[in-house]
Amino acid sequence: MTTIDVPNLATDDLRSEAVPRGSDGVELRLVGSAETETMAALNRLLEALHTHVVGAGIREVTVDLRELEFMNSSYFKVFVSWVGRVEELPPEGQYKLRFLADRKKHWQERSLGALVCFATHLIRVES
Amino acid sequence: MQKSEADAYFELSFSPNARLVSTVRRFVAAFYVQILADAEVTDRLAVATHELLENAVRYSSDGNTRVRIGVKREPGGCAVTIDTINRAAAGDLAGARTTLDEIASAQDPQRHYQVLMRRSITRTDGSGLGLGRVRAESGMSLSYEIDGDMIHVRARALFESGVEA
Repeated sequence: MTTIDVPNLATDDLRSEAVPRGSDGVELRLVGSAETETMAALNRLLEALHTHVVGAGIREVTVDLRELEFMNSSYFKVFVSWVGRVEELPPEGQYKLRFLADRKKHWQERSLGALVCFATHLIRVES
Repeated sequence: MQKSEADAYFELSFSPNARLVSTVRRFVAAFYVQILADAEVTDRLAVATHELLENAVRYSSDGNTRVRIGVKREPGGCAVTIDTINRAAAGDLAGARTTLDEIASAQDPQRHYQVLMRRSITRTDGSGLGLGRVRAESGMSLSYEIDGDMIHVRARALFESGVEA
């Protein structure tokens, strides 16, 4: 499978994979638990992904969190900051974020619900 | 511990690191599910415990933190309290006071959480979201006491059949 050239995470706790999805989409999958001190690495990953998405004119990024067991508030901030970067783009350049959630991981519904409220025009959640 | 008993609690005093916070979260989740037998409520409490403990660890000035978790049956449901106690530097105590006073006075915890999220984008020191998450996502009220360089933060909620009363 073709991957996108971003600094993926590959720690014992958290791994990521970013791949093209369809003709004009990207999928980022996070596996593990987002709670140890690697927020800076996730931030670098999302910054690189943002640059790639904007440069390629991609309209939607799918973020698959179904295998993410937990996320602390520090990691959540990284996602909030990412949404902030998308908001700073001109309206015609703003891409959508589609989160895939696991209903059994109750924190996902609450946290992603808060993220949707933060940017209702950009984010949707599917579970 | 039988669900029909009045009280259950445990208390830990330790010098934690980030990984130990995660271990404690998993332990308390197992504790909560035994007592409350509600997966969604357990999840909310585990998140609150993690955020409170992580907050205490980050700002502990001497590396020591105490956490006490209690569950007590009351008319209307089960009252759960999460207490963290740690020493902190004067500047951090002042910051905690400001944050907790703001959270306590917010009329709408969800709306206030959105404000904290907006602010977090430009923060460079921490996320500023942990305590707000406890209030908004876990639905627990927050209170505190400061005595000298010691801060005691308490989160509390009353759960009735797994739903906050």
